[in-house]
Amino acid sequence: MSGRARVKARGIARSPSATEVGRTQASPLPTSVDLSNNEASSSNGFLGTSRISTNDKYGISSGDAGSTSMERGVKNKQDFMDLSICTREKLAHVRDCKTGSSGIPVKLVTNLFNLDFPQDWQLYQYHVTYVPDLASRRLRIALLYSHSELSNKAKAFDGAILFLSQKLEEKVTELSSETQRGETIKMTITLKRELPSSSPVCIQVFNIIFRKILKKLSMYQIGRNFYNPSEPVEIPQHKLSLWPGFAISVSYFESKLLFSADVSYKVLRNETVLEFMTALCRRTGLTCFTQTCEKQLIGLIVLTRYNNRTYSIDDIDWSVKPTHTFQKRDGTEITYVDYYKQQYDITVSDLNQPMLVSLLKRKRNDNSEARLAHLIPELCFLTGLTDQATSDFQLMKAVAEKTRLPPSGRQQRLARLVDNIQRNTNARFELETWGLHFGSQISLTGRVVPSEKILMQDHICQPVSAADWSKDVRTCKILNARSLNTWLILCSDRTEYVAESFLNCLRRVAGSMGFNVDYPKIIKVQENPAAFVRAVQQYVDPDVQLVMCILPSNQKTYYDSIKKYLSSDCPVPSQCVLARTLNKQGMMMSIATKIAMQMTCKLGGELWAVEIPLKSLMVVGIDVCKDALSKDVMVVGCVASVNPGITRWFSRCILQRTMTDVADCLKVFMTGALNKWYKYNHDLPARIIVYRAGVGDGQLKTLVEYEVPQLLSSVAESSSNTSSRLSVIVVRKKCMPRFFTEMNRTVQNPPIGTVVDSEATRNEWYDFYLISQVACRGTVSPTYYNVIYDDNGLKPDHMQRLTFKLCHLYYNWPGIVSVPAPCQYAHKLTFLVAQSIHKEPSLELANHLFYL
Amino acid sequence: MEENNLQCSSVVDGNFEEVPRETAIQFKPPLYRQRYQFVKNLVDQHEPKKVADLGCGDTSLLRLLKVNPCIELLVGVDINEDKLRWRGDSLAPFMGDFLKPRDLNLTIILYHGSVVERDSRLLGFDLITCIELIEHLDSGDLARFPEVVFGYLSPSMIVISTPNSEFNPLFPSVTLRDSDHKFEWTRMEFQTWALYVANRYDYSVEFTGVGEPPAGAENVGYCTQIGIFQKNGGRATEACVSEQHDQHVYKAGLTMFPRLVLIFHPQAVLLPHLPKMLRLQVFTTSYPSLQQERFFKLVLVNEVSQQVESLRVSHLPRRKEQDGEQGDKPKDIGGSKAPVPCFGPVFTEVEKAKIENSPKPFCVGDKFFVPLQRLLAYPRLNRLCANEEMMRSVIADSIPLSSDGSAVVTDLCNYFDEQFEF
Repeated sequence: MSGRARVKARGIARSPSATEVGRTQASPLPTSVDLSNNEASSSNGFLGTSRISTNDKYGISSGDAGSTSMERGVKNKQDFMDLSICTREKLAHVRDCKTGSSGIPVKLVTNLFNLDFPQDWQLYQYHVTYVPDLASRRLRIALLYSHSELSNKAKAFDGAILFLSQKLEEKVTELSSETQRGETIKMTITLKRELPSSSPVCIQVFNIIFRKILKKLSMYQIGRNFYNPSEPVEIPQHKLSLWPGFAISVSYFESKLLFSADVSYKVLRNETVLEFMTALCRRTGLTCFTQTCEKQLIGLIVLTRYNNRTYSIDDIDWSVKPTHTFQKRDGTEITYVDYYKQQYDITVSDLNQPMLVSLLKRKRNDNSEARLAHLIPELCFLTGLTDQATSDFQLMKAVAEKTRLPPSGRQQRLARLVDNIQRNTNARFELETWGLHFGSQISLTGRVVPSEKILMQDHICQPVSAADWSKDVRTCKILNARSLNTWLILCSDRTEYVAESFLNCLRRVAGSMGFNVDYPKIIKVQENPAAFVRAVQQYVDPDVQLVMCILPSNQKTYYDSIKKYLSSDCPVPSQCVLARTLNKQGMMMSIATKIAMQMTCKLGGELWAVEIPLKSLMVVGIDVCKDALSKDVMVVGCVASVNPGITRWFSRCILQRTMTDVADCLKVFMTGALNKWYKYNHDLPARIIVYRAGVGDGQLKTLVEYEVPQLLSSVAESSSNTSSRLSVIVVRKKCMPRFFTEMNRTVQNPPIGTVVDSEATRNEWYDFYLISQVACRGTVSPTYYNVIYDDNGLKPDHMQRLTFKLCHLYYNWPGIVSVPAPCQYAHKLTFLVAQSIHKEPSLELANHLFYL
Repeated sequence: MEENNLQCSSVVDGNFEEVPRETAIQFKPPLYRQRYQFVKNLVDQHEPKKVADLGCGDTSLLRLLKVNPCIELLVGVDINEDKLRWRGDSLAPFMGDFLKPRDLNLTIILYHGSVVERDSRLLGFDLITCIELIEHLDSGDLARFPEVVFGYLSPSMIVISTPNSEFNPLFPSVTLRDSDHKFEWTRMEFQTWALYVANRYDYSVEFTGVGEPPAGAENVGYCTQIGIFQKNGGRATEACVSEQHDQHVYKAGLTMFPRLVLIFHPQAVLLPHLPKMLRLQVFTTSYPSLQQERFFKLVLVNEVSQQVESLRVSHLPRRKEQDGEQGDKPKDIGGSKAPVPCFGPVFTEVEKAKIENSPKPFCVGDKFFVPLQRLLAYPRLNRLCANEEMMRSVIADSIPLSSDGSAVVTDLCNYFDEQFEF
């Protein structure tokens, strides 16, 4: 509970600071919706951009917009910032051509659509000033909109900057309007710029136009996506509603402006905070209820149903009830019950409920005291899925089953969306007034790169499917395993029997894969997390190679406390297994095989390899995520290969506060990794390829300006003569494009190894898409690679194939994974640290894949 | 009217940035809010089903009225299309309206057009409001206004507000309060006009107002004068009925389901011989409600799941205790035997008795059963659903039922139970 701001408002419910009852500003969350201010929010989108492009003092005037829309503006701005980082022009070998040629060509359909407009199409950017000046943005907009001069024109206006698709007759247009009290306001509309369709500002305006159009199709905007609330998918047993919808955007791809749309679902919870609290109370009983309740609720985001705002719960005030009074803005006192009845016609039914306290975010230019809002639990809906919910396998399975769409289903939805846009008169009218025309769906040609062979100790295997080769290698010995001689098993009385039978099975399968497992010391402990940790502390000595814990339940404290102790306090590889997993009938062999493989890796063994044509290559994976407990801490995981065969790894995890610190710690890591490489290979690697995951929107600049130079300098400093050649590749699992193959008049997922490096890529980047996973029932999402730095000068063909090879080397899964293995390792490591350990693991474990 | 509406919108948003300009007299709450609150109180009192606001501007009044549970059709008309479109979106249902639907349907439609054009889609309304509207009409339109609104549309009730020019001397140097005002009337002028119109179209009229004059100037009257017109005959009796109806109206909508799926079609009231529709419909939205099968089902299934879950959880501790007695589990679950929630639903004695007398939930193996009859005993479910047959048919394909369909079945233990061990 430490670290969070305890906002105790006991007894001050009557003070002015607590006067806001849920009718105040939205919290600055991307998920919140600000329907009452739609025009403002969409127009803010372009304010964000124009602030970069013009040095306009009015660019700041959006200060009086809701913070929600500000956030949205910032997000757009970040996307846009990434696009202005042109990395390809510095890479000589791909300046003319960045496409590969090897592999079998495959025809692909995409979720991208042409957007047609006249050749000479232009957007006119005007600047509007008011004399006398008006502070209210709303009034500015109202005055301009109500003026007959502009009434029939396609326009977008945010209070200062006006976009028109038709030029006004004069460069400077003077209009005047009168307000109440006979005040004449003069509006001066001055032409600032004429923008071609490829201009970034134009793209922002296109996005605003399409947002308007989707609203005209009765779709509901949440964040940047649009949902259809009239066709919800319900999961009543988990109190969830799923709204189907689309994520849409307009952007400039390789050679033209394209509209992209992807199916998306919004998860809503049909549960009020009061219902949640009541249920919780029944479970816990009164004794520890308040404490548990605070632990569960504080930090969550709630949606108030009467005004559609979102708030974060900062505290719960158990002393204030709905029958208490508060002071309204006009100074009068009113009870919460009466207030909601009068204002929203809502009857509060439970008069004993406590109040949720939310600390309202202040605007940037406002230094006044932060205000609190008291919210009634009965009127607040929970939003999003809690960590607890996402860890519930049944729940996530239910959600996945409802939302999974095969390629054909996805294609149908897209077709329907396009059809709706073209049929809806309002939507078409909007497009036409701007001079736009919705075009055809884009098809392109990809290539399928050759499949990889899996190298085992004395066998080379060509798997039937790269998705899962466990059957193909079942009889083969793994590359290298260290014998397990001294180890412990911790289990409870209840699980002792199952532990014994599992042990037998484990030793048998380990033996057949060439991994010698001796009989361990079995220690019986009581069924509570503290007992497990005590036993570990008592029995682990320097000789112990590995500790296995058979956990009686999936309560998180067991896992966390054991991992925390054994990863940093007393570094010994550990293996946790749920007793329930071992009880699964008929699954024992495959479970034992999987666990034996993990144990091998944790001891420093190697499972399999693929052919790597480059002789002295180090690959590095970097991932970043936020710590689950203290959200301002960034967990940076780095994993580097330390042998030419790319089967052994050096892993390190560092906690940092800011993005620039991340760059600094990369240097520390790289130096360590290069030292390790030198130690094992007596030389430095000729080539280094860094795969960087965990990059958010707008961070590309930081990467190019800070991280790449830091990596370069650490490489340069580690060698006195010729230093290793470096490439840096940004890896993104989430990207807009989807690809389908057409087969027998229906669409399907493209085969594994499909590469796309044209049309759906960006002209200013050396980038490509690679499909390196299978989706049995859903639609596969391609992984996006952007090579932002490249000294190695590998041909695009080779870069793509090497990346594909690396997707085969993740030892936790005998099959291909969606990102290169070093990235997946780094991800697994950061996840363990962020969720369970919350501090840096000991360096003594750095040579083992202890986090699998 | 423009200025006022701009300020007003901030009330509904809870966005208080636009403080009214400095004037010598400041009303608290601001005058525009007093006017809207006046209409809202009138709606609360008379419970009209169909309400139209002529000259609705940026739809602020509509946004205030849409929360009223009795209104089923809400229409706004304004001559300024851009303004309608500009804020129109904010009348769409909120996310919360889908999660907790209204009892009755609500359709909101905005028309762009003149208020003095006959439009058959505005026939048959219970209330038409013209807030600060008539002073914007030129003499020709003003002359046509009574004929169209009173004579043709002829709603049960009409509310007209307009500035009281006798109040104007209290403002610093004001001749007309808005440059678009064609006139501002004294009380006498307004009342003469109103009485003439009321008399001609068989309405009775009462006069009132909002914006109390400051002390010492009481003789000037309210800042805004208001006339409430009620159609003679017909509706008077109905209004009486609806007052005692209260509960009934509300119930009726629910029990009528599922036969009644009432979505209002404005075209349905169009009579063939009537003039063309001059107004363009610029916005329409339909709110989810319990009258719509899909949302009724959603709410019922949710309520049932929730009730079953709470009964299931209250069965759990007892079972754990039994386990403990068998010596299966050495550690006890410390004093949490009969949790007494400090809040949650409170039942009356009658309700309690009804619940007690209904069939009890029971366990068979690791399955937990709650008889539908038991569920129906809870007031929240009883309010939604009249009988077992109906409940069964609505929830059958969403919630697992026992083989004979008389009870809901669920696993006694689930994932979350393990997360809460005490």
